[in-house]
Amino acid sequence: MKGFFEKNKYRLISLCSVAGVLLIWELVTDVFHLISPMMLPAPGKVLETFIYKLTGGVNPDGGSLLQHIVSSMKISLGGYFVGVLIGVPLGISMAWSRKFELFAKPLFDVIRPIPALAWIPLMILWLGIGYESKVGIIFFAAFISATINSYAGIKQTNKVHLWVAKTFGASNRQLLFKVAIPTAMPMIFTGLRLALGSSWVALVAAELLAATKGLGYMIQVSRMLGRPDVIIVGMVTIGIIGYLLSSILEKLQKKFVRRTK
Amino acid sequence: MSLKKFVDKNISVIMTVLAFASLLIVWELVSRFTKAGLFLPPASLILEKFILSFKEPIGKYTMLTHIGVSLYRVGVAFGLSTVFGIALGVSMGYSKLAEAILKPIFEFIRPIPPLAWIPMSILWFGLGDKSKFFIIFLGCFCFITVNTYEGTKNVDKTLIGAARMLGASERQVFFDIVLPSSVPYIFAGLQIAVTAGWSAVVGAEMVHSNEGVGWLIVMGMTYGKTVQIMVGMLAIGLVGFVLATGMAKLERRLCAWNNQGM
Repeated sequence: MKGFFEKNKYRLISLCSVAGVLLIWELVTDVFHLISPMMLPAPGKVLETFIYKLTGGVNPDGGSLLQHIVSSMKISLGGYFVGVLIGVPLGISMAWSRKFELFAKPLFDVIRPIPALAWIPLMILWLGIGYESKVGIIFFAAFISATINSYAGIKQTNKVHLWVAKTFGASNRQLLFKVAIPTAMPMIFTGLRLALGSSWVALVAAELLAATKGLGYMIQVSRMLGRPDVIIVGMVTIGIIGYLLSSILEKLQKKFVRRTK
Repeated sequence: MSLKKFVDKNISVIMTVLAFASLLIVWELVSRFTKAGLFLPPASLILEKFILSFKEPIGKYTMLTHIGVSLYRVGVAFGLSTVFGIALGVSMGYSKLAEAILKPIFEFIRPIPPLAWIPMSILWFGLGDKSKFFIIFLGCFCFITVNTYEGTKNVDKTLIGAARMLGASERQVFFDIVLPSSVPYIFAGLQIAVTAGWSAVVGAEMVHSNEGVGWLIVMGMTYGKTVQIMVGMLAIGLVGFVLATGMAKLERRLCAWNNQGM
């Protein structure tokens, strides 16, 4: 028994810490009423709302949790794939061809420092508040991380490896596909992961500003309706999905990318 | 010097100029002579309005004030998050007990995007600057904490062992080894954080504010003024660029020892 405590000492402390936070939360809300439920609902209330929304409850924002999740996922994955499909090849070709780099890099460097969120007004004005404009916003979020990291990955290619391949008579095409891209794979994957993260962040922002569905919309409407319990449910869901998306890509990366060193 | 030599020498400048010139010309032609002009104002007009915005106010203030207000919000929040982020990161990285207590809570908060806090922060702090500070703080804080934590974790164990063996106190180990060797990580965190903070202020101001660069573009959207949006985006991009490069320069200055071979 003592050995068990010794071995799992830090894990137990972690558990106690989480329990402690929940306890304080419960104490200040439900037990001593130090904070008004309009500012911070009790943990029990949040859990209740979470179960209610998860099992298909549509009040107060007109959609169940699942409907909002599906709507948000559709938009963010749509924008993400377009961004990645354009960004990765662009990054690779900018790093591979000197001429193309000289022409395209300065143009890319102009849009690079503009945060994806700053595209929201323009996209909404151009494409309306529907699906397309949000895909457009998320495109920029994904596109920039995907391009930068693919570019950096190819640039890292060991010159010696390229020389060796050349000496053995590899064509330019072989150099790219057999040497440079495999070397860049870890960086490209990092780019894919960062891109997914920023897509998810941009999505929440886009939905906060203009949407009729989705998790960002859910938390924004719940503020106006004075339902902080639904806001917290929404935030936690956003956090969990963000976390899941990034760990899925991490798993894929471990599976498909061989360590080069 | 022959023409060919000149071209070869200045190829990157020439290509950059060429790229911008062709972009601007295509843009100008498209917006002046096709129907797309309804949505896309000519580049020359945007540049003109951008320069003009430093003299003539948009809303209540000129461009300089809008940028100033946004920078002030980022500055305050970034400063706070630097202090708290480094403190939290170092204590989680250095002490196992602190890690066990704080990490699960931090890991729970970390994946929530800062902008998702906007509704809660408005409930808690109202519509003023305080709620913006809170959101930007969260945006910067996580990056600084994570990087500092990694830095303190990755300290060379041999160094610590050597110092202990030569009789260094716990305090000396911490201040002379752990802290200095995590500085490069901390700076990497600060660099990401400043960009994230700038993006967060734009988001926060778009959701609710009466001034600032985020306000500029969202007002442009509300009144259908594409020119104002693009002028605002230009300002946002320029300031974002200056912040990012400024931070990189600062790093190169302060962590010069870490740049060998970079």
